[in-house]
Amino acid sequence: MSELPEYVRIVEEIFDKYKDREFLYVGKRIQRWDAVEKVKGRTLFTADFAKYYRNAVFVYSVRTKHAHARIKSIDVSETQRYPGVLRVITAKDIPGINDVGYVIPDQPLLVKDKARYIGDIIALIVAEDPNVAKEAGELIKVDYEKLPVITDPLQVVDLRTLEEKEHPLIHEERGSDIVAHFKIRKGDVKKAFNEADVVVEGEYSTPFQEHAYMEPEAAIALPEADGGVTVIATTQCPFDVRKAVAKVLGITQNKVRVIVPAVGGGFGGKEDVANELGAKAALAALMTGRPAVVIHSREESIIGHSKRHPMRAWYRHAAKRDGTLLAVEANIVFDTGAYASLGPFVAWRATVHATGPYNVEAARIDTLSVYTNNVYAGAFRGFGCPQTAFAVELQMDALAKELGMDPVDLRLKNILREGDRTVHGQLLTKDHGVGLEEAIRKAVEISKWYEKRKLFSKQSGTLRKGMGIALLWHGNSIGVEGADYSSATLIINRDGSITFRVGLIDMGQGSQWGMVLIASEILGVPPSYFRVEQPDTAATPDSGPTVASRSTVMGGAAVVNAAYKLRQRLNKVASTLLGCDPDDVEIRAPDVYCRSSPEKRVSWNDVVEQSFWLGIPLQEFGYFRAPPAEWDEETGQGAPYITYTFGSIIAEVTVDLETGGVKVDRMVTAYDVGKVINRVGVELHAEGGAIQGLGYALMEEVVHNKDAYVMNANLSTYYIPTIHDIPDEIIPVFVEAKYRRGPFGAKGLGEPSINGIAPAIVNAVSHATGLRFYSIPLTPEKVYMALKKAGKTSF
Amino acid sequence: MGGGSDLLVLIRSGIVKANTVLDLWPLRKELAYIKREKGTVRIGALTTISELCESDLIKDIRYAGLADVCKKFSTPFIRNIATVGGNVGAAHPLSDMVLMLLVLNGKVKLLSKNGKRVVDITKFFKGKRQTVRNYDEIIAEVSFTEAPPNSSTAFIKFDRRWGHAMGYVLVGAYMQLHDNIIEDVRIAFDSMGNPYPERAWKTEEFLKGNEFSDELIKQALNDVLPKEMKRITDYRASAEYRLDLSKVLLRRALLKIKSRIEGGD
Amino acid sequence: MSTIPREEWDKYPDIEITLNVNGKDYRVKVKPYERLLDVLRYKLGFTGVKEGCGRGECGACVILMDGKLVPSCLVLAERANGSKILTVEGLAPEGKLHAIQKALLDTYAVQCGFCFPGVILAIKALLDRNPNPTDEEIKDALSGQLCRCGSYLRFIKAVKLAAQYIREGKEYFDESEVRR
Repeated sequence: MSELPEYVRIVEEIFDKYKDREFLYVGKRIQRWDAVEKVKGRTLFTADFAKYYRNAVFVYSVRTKHAHARIKSIDVSETQRYPGVLRVITAKDIPGINDVGYVIPDQPLLVKDKARYIGDIIALIVAEDPNVAKEAGELIKVDYEKLPVITDPLQVVDLRTLEEKEHPLIHEERGSDIVAHFKIRKGDVKKAFNEADVVVEGEYSTPFQEHAYMEPEAAIALPEADGGVTVIATTQCPFDVRKAVAKVLGITQNKVRVIVPAVGGGFGGKEDVANELGAKAALAALMTGRPAVVIHSREESIIGHSKRHPMRAWYRHAAKRDGTLLAVEANIVFDTGAYASLGPFVAWRATVHATGPYNVEAARIDTLSVYTNNVYAGAFRGFGCPQTAFAVELQMDALAKELGMDPVDLRLKNILREGDRTVHGQLLTKDHGVGLEEAIRKAVEISKWYEKRKLFSKQSGTLRKGMGIALLWHGNSIGVEGADYSSATLIINRDGSITFRVGLIDMGQGSQWGMVLIASEILGVPPSYFRVEQPDTAATPDSGPTVASRSTVMGGAAVVNAAYKLRQRLNKVASTLLGCDPDDVEIRAPDVYCRSSPEKRVSWNDVVEQSFWLGIPLQEFGYFRAPPAEWDEETGQGAPYITYTFGSIIAEVTVDLETGGVKVDRMVTAYDVGKVINRVGVELHAEGGAIQGLGYALMEEVVHNKDAYVMNANLSTYYIPTIHDIPDEIIPVFVEAKYRRGPFGAKGLGEPSINGIAPAIVNAVSHATGLRFYSIPLTPEKVYMALKKAGKTSF
Repeated sequence: MGGGSDLLVLIRSGIVKANTVLDLWPLRKELAYIKREKGTVRIGALTTISELCESDLIKDIRYAGLADVCKKFSTPFIRNIATVGGNVGAAHPLSDMVLMLLVLNGKVKLLSKNGKRVVDITKFFKGKRQTVRNYDEIIAEVSFTEAPPNSSTAFIKFDRRWGHAMGYVLVGAYMQLHDNIIEDVRIAFDSMGNPYPERAWKTEEFLKGNEFSDELIKQALNDVLPKEMKRITDYRASAEYRLDLSKVLLRRALLKIKSRIEGGD
Repeated sequence: MSTIPREEWDKYPDIEITLNVNGKDYRVKVKPYERLLDVLRYKLGFTGVKEGCGRGECGACVILMDGKLVPSCLVLAERANGSKILTVEGLAPEGKLHAIQKALLDTYAVQCGFCFPGVILAIKALLDRNPNPTDEEIKDALSGQLCRCGSYLRFIKAVKLAAQYIREGKEYFDESEVRR
């Protein structure tokens, strides 16, 4: 048996040591480091920095007028002459490689010969005044050869046969518009369906969802004297932006510095668009020698950055009379729009989770990701899981109805428990932490499930209440998407204050604060001693991207390593000052004393100062790497994720039978997060995710017309929940089935907090109306028309 | 430009091309008022929606429909700059104020260098976002005769979300009841088939003079309204749903008015 | 390309206006089409005023102008001439927090913080005219403030808490009280 790497051993040692301890900071509600600045309005977001640059230039992106067209020629002569225009940049002006694709190099920064969606950029106009840039942009003459526009992924592949159909290729250079195909092949699915007592089938669809973060995208680039560039950008992945900008400019990565100030919401939407933002700003900065500002309007934001993949899925479940699941098969098609973005990864994660958190003996899953001329789809909180959870959880409810079983009972019969194997054959042990059952039972108890379900089934009148459940699971971190590592640096300064450097960003979730609490706990120092430095590729270590609900798990594990090593050294120094064993040293800064003889004490500053005198370094770089994931391309068997977050959502709704209107009254959101680190953080995630999920369930969809123009590219036509649309109560519940290799047992919650919301709400509406639904957003019209079809309306 | 909440958005998104904009805001000194004199309510065109909503006018049970509008008109900060005249002049079908003026028999006063003219609000719109206002005229005032006792109004807007909604269907209604007989009724929808708000004349005619009953309403909604209402299907909702929803909302509006008259809601 | 001087290509006249922002007078030259939002942010440096949509649909840019909550992206700077403007930066003196800000901290409502300036001023506008609002009145007052991170439930709690603080005579708190 190979020895565990040191960085894993340290995390496990801390896990064991603190398993039954009372925590000082971890798990407590402690105000985040930047709260006061934020309520005072002092925090600077990317666009705010523009006020510092007197001679800045502004970059305007001229976008294509047609979603699918060959670009025969671009005439910028009139634009260049427009008074106030400094530069006009087209594809031929790019010094490096004209590509900003995140996974596949399929996405040019500036259109060369073909536009594939309405956000494709023809040219960049650089001017001293943003209005001038915009007006000049309108004078660009483009010779388009229009091509047929594809807006439906089922024009590209058949949902039942999964064969690619004859159609005008969007990516001819690839020879096919199928970007990715992932599979699960387990057991004998055919036999299972033949022997099944009950078979339930359905075709489900989910829409494009827009992140609608309140801060639109922005980037500012400052030219550096050595031909390099510093970029301030709204991004979740500073090191990926550095890579992309260096690639487009044709310079080395060390000449590109990316700084990430506070970000006003990300949710996955600022994962890859910042490659484009940074590259646009950098080009303009280097070509003019002045600070260059890129700020997207809200419309540009909606059209110009990735969306959640819409899904069309055909599912079939086979079960025994007693409710035991025998098999699941599914054909899942994701519309990745004009470019792949993170599409291949989304399709993979969706495949992994496609059967739900259940014991499934046999499964046949095929997930395809295909191009269309719609706005491109990429990362969005959940990353394929909300889509498949929607289909799976509705299937389970349909199965429960068919079997005459309570939906909770059916699920309890099949859920994954400790000792079970996932559909991929991964054995879930105590070390993984499998708290799904506990989450279900708590949610059931708090929501008064059985009592209310019974009560709600005897109703009359035009307002009907319903209650629905949905389960979720979410593999933590990035699985097979790449090498999964993270790092963080802790520096104790001579005056005892601490500098914390990590490359993970804050987009509202404040994961750095959880990491500070981890370091606080291990060092014995209050969180107020720490200063969180903003992510900066020149100064903070590469911690991997801020995605995949990995910050606390992976970044936190790196912090455990750094704090652990620092603590060892501090203990040693303290022991020489106190005269007790290093293991006996207790640090409760500002006090440091011997546990066995507490009257022997010195101060934190004494220990720090002494370390400096002795030349003992008080800075430490912590590193953690997850074991490589295992995944067989043909069968989908292996160990795709390091662990899984589990959850159970119960939603209570009131349906207006006359209008189809749905109001969510209450939600109980129970999550197995391993160990709560930042209690405020997990509570806010549960609430915020519930509200964003409610929007996904009932009102949000980006609509394209047949020419692939977005019909609702602003916030008065793309509806996100307002304060009037939220439930009266959102009750978060946290279960702690600890993950041994997470910091103190922690798992991630960033994405799981949205995965199960939509299906819980739709299942509740089903309960209230007695009807099955198949698509979200479940608008009033969809509910009403289903009721009308079933003869349950008066008109 | 009045408040600017509509025009500025149209100009900046390139829908309206304008090099020069006439700012009417300085006219607030003369044109922001709510006057009730000689049996007429007169509202200056530059009165903001907020000012209207903070006035005593909407507390009058007869104009409770205006209070309904105040609850659902855009957002609080828009109400502080949007003007009554602007809402009429913008001529958008999903216009809360216009619906209420239609059912209150409102009139629009236009002013120009050459004098003034008064146009019935039912005759004010002629096309999609088009009014009969000439380029050299401004909307100066809207007015309506004070409603009789035993009458009230209601306004309902329904959409996928409650806050800041455009509305699939908007309905405004006025009714006067006496001993449960519908003495007078006026109904307006965001669209009856044209791209601007109009009255449901036939439905009104059918109801007028009869005893208010569920049966009567049902008949009106099933037999009469569909004859004069033509709904469109767009990406937001289908014609069929809009028609059904119109019926549901109208019934609710009439019931609401009845309870206001009888109980003082 | 050579740079053509601004005076040659910008044919609109400059207008000089006076704005009183957070208690101090400022004289600025603005173009007729210039938004109050841009003047506050870039000319005067009040980046606490945010732009979320530029169309009056998100509430991020609201400020108090002569006591009224208005969307600064839809107010032309010229119209604000001579008015008293309050931005979030002016809500409390240096080193102090207003009851509203303290309440948002006490309810742990802070996430990305981008919507906060607008939310805070919308709450101020509400409490200025209604010191004891009901839940429904709170929702009405904040109905135009979009928050994608989802702190709405906490906003409702915070308004009631702030109202309570103000009733108890505690309109301002020392920042040091909350800084650990």
